[in-house]
Amino acid sequence: MPFFTAAPEAVPGAVSATDQALVLSLIVLPLIGFGLTALIGRRLGGRAWIIAVAAIVLTWLAAMVLVYQTLFVGAFGEAGLHVLVYEWIPAGAFTVDIAFGVDALTAVMLIVVATVGMLVHIYSIGYMAHDPGRWRFFAYLNLFMFSMLLLVLADNFLLLFVAWELVGLCSYLLVGFWYRRRSAALAAKKAFLVNRVGDVGFTLGIVAIWTTVGTLDFGQVFQLLPEALATGAIEQWHMIGICLLLFAGAMGKSAQFPLHVWLPDAMEGPTPVSALIHAATMVNAGVYLVARSNPLFAQAPEALVVVAAVGIFTAIMAASIAFTQTDIKRVLAYSTLSQLGYMFAALGVGAFIPAIFHLLTHGFFKGLLFLGSGSVIHAVHDEQDMDRMGGLRKRIAITHLTMLVGSLAIAGIPPLAGFFSKDEILAESFKLGFAWVWFIGIVVALMTGFYMFRLMGKTFYGPSHVDPEVEPRIHESPRSMTVPLVVLAVASAVVGLALGFPFENGILHGWLEPVFHGAEETLGHAGGDYQLFGIDGTLLLISTGVSVAGVLLGWRFFGFLSRRPQPEAVERLTQRLRPAYAFSKGKWYFDELNDLLFVRLGGLVARALWWFDVHIIDGTVNGIANLTRSSGGGLRQIQTGHVQNYALGIAAGLLIIALGYLVVVTR
Amino acid sequence: MSQSLDAYLILSGLLFAIGTFGFLARRNAIAMLMSIELMLNAVNLSIVAFGAFVPSLAGDGALIALFVMAVAAAEATVGLAIVIAIYRNKRTPLVDEYASMRE
Repeated sequence: MPFFTAAPEAVPGAVSATDQALVLSLIVLPLIGFGLTALIGRRLGGRAWIIAVAAIVLTWLAAMVLVYQTLFVGAFGEAGLHVLVYEWIPAGAFTVDIAFGVDALTAVMLIVVATVGMLVHIYSIGYMAHDPGRWRFFAYLNLFMFSMLLLVLADNFLLLFVAWELVGLCSYLLVGFWYRRRSAALAAKKAFLVNRVGDVGFTLGIVAIWTTVGTLDFGQVFQLLPEALATGAIEQWHMIGICLLLFAGAMGKSAQFPLHVWLPDAMEGPTPVSALIHAATMVNAGVYLVARSNPLFAQAPEALVVVAAVGIFTAIMAASIAFTQTDIKRVLAYSTLSQLGYMFAALGVGAFIPAIFHLLTHGFFKGLLFLGSGSVIHAVHDEQDMDRMGGLRKRIAITHLTMLVGSLAIAGIPPLAGFFSKDEILAESFKLGFAWVWFIGIVVALMTGFYMFRLMGKTFYGPSHVDPEVEPRIHESPRSMTVPLVVLAVASAVVGLALGFPFENGILHGWLEPVFHGAEETLGHAGGDYQLFGIDGTLLLISTGVSVAGVLLGWRFFGFLSRRPQPEAVERLTQRLRPAYAFSKGKWYFDELNDLLFVRLGGLVARALWWFDVHIIDGTVNGIANLTRSSGGGLRQIQTGHVQNYALGIAAGLLIIALGYLVVVTR
Repeated sequence: MSQSLDAYLILSGLLFAIGTFGFLARRNAIAMLMSIELMLNAVNLSIVAFGAFVPSLAGDGALIALFVMAVAAAEATVGLAIVIAIYRNKRTPLVDEYASMRE
């Protein structure tokens, strides 16, 4: 077996031993960290984090070197670096390898995954310091990092799928980390089950690809499938079908309507987990999958319309729910849904680069917001209800400032990160002829500013509603928690300007252009010149104006810095919009709908099938057995044990044979 | 010696029927063994008769009858041995009592 050799499609001599070692270390280091922490972590007691954090810091270093090599030096060319580790499934002409690929898209994902992953690890040192199960927590966290890195590095669909399921497993383990709490155990189960629904589609999609082109290697699939379509070997609807099946998997993992119900419940997990898995990395896997499969989606514009519609609908639905939730983490969870919806909308309109750009910026500012909310929860002693917070601004100043940066960034206020990526998504939607996506997107931008500053206002400004017993003990979090917050705040502030300016022509576009070039060409998206004083400038002004309006509305009702909140105005508004308020507060009654459709109605069907199974299927089987037994029971009465009875039988038989013979012969 | 084959066969049939009746009707194991001998000899008689009257057999009937006698002797030996063995257990020669093999 060829261990550690270059894949044949790579340029000969381009893969040096150092690069291979780098790629492998990304996978191996977290795995070692997981193994060691799982084995001896319990004995380390309060220092259970030491191995795990060290492993991830080293991983981050390796990742950054690799990112530097890929994006800044361009050492691997447009095709990227491909490392074949092991021929996993050699089955005649069909082979699946353990093979890793690093191109610009993977490198951008590595920036988010490794950086947020490392910061969350460091943050967890403080956050989990008093939890007796911390060694288990760090082991899981390392396992997650291994899985997530495997996911972005995988060079074929099957390996991607394995990693896809591994991150799902880690999500399950970490959501249910406090498994003694019934709600946490249920939430973990829900996340796992809802993801299975999407994974059915993903699995079928992979099988469809395999039966069509007989390979699962990314490079070959992305070349052979469009070729098959061009030569007429497959029809258009095959392509659309494959894309929609892959998208079904993406919908599950990235929690898009109607499979979004698991993500808000997943907030039962520890807050660092929410930040890492359910905001910055794992939920982006769906976006990554669609972006990675862009050569396929480009051939199926109808599927892309579905992607756009699902994305933008999720965006506005989740934003409307975020209006009324009072659990600080749930507001952020719905905000995550909404932002993921933006990314899918961008992918759907064919704006691949803005989608990845938003993935990157969102990873930073949403990671920041979640870690900030964790710091708030920590400060008020495990209280998550925003109605029991308020006035925390001066008490936890660093948390407040960093979260303010994050909120402004997600609201899309220039010059913070979210402004660049969100504006680009909206502008591209409009210019590529998806005015409806643009319009809904603008509405969502307004809503985003509002609900984020509702969160800020209820948490940090106005009078305190904190439990009087806890009030005097409110404290800023330890340094291990505030330092990651500050780092992420800085990143949220500058990453958009650094990578996305000048508009639609930033560094990031240069990096990702080779990855998406073919797809954009297929879709006929010729990149026109950026007109600051024409259409582009107008769109920029509109989206910025709307974002600012949203933030100002939030200030108006919920206060800002020294401005007092207006609870009476909020109450009046709530009363006037009573049904809408109830609808939003009830999360559009999706859980109730699912309960009705699948638990009750599905339960009826299941019970009917169960009846059929017990009475018809089992009845047939048992009937045959009973028939055999009772006939045997009847027949055994003949066995008297009297030899003369048997002899009589023999004689009678002989007589019958003889008589029969006579009748036949003499006739 | 009668010149008709039928007469021998009728006699043989009668003897066989008596033997069969004895085997089915008698309850004594020894009597049943004797009935078997009767049936065997009825068969022997018919074989010898066929040997004498059917030209193609040309006297081979007597030879076969000798074989049957030999087998009958062996059978009687084994049969008696079994009956004695059972008798030692059950202390009765009546086969009605030998029903321990019933289901």
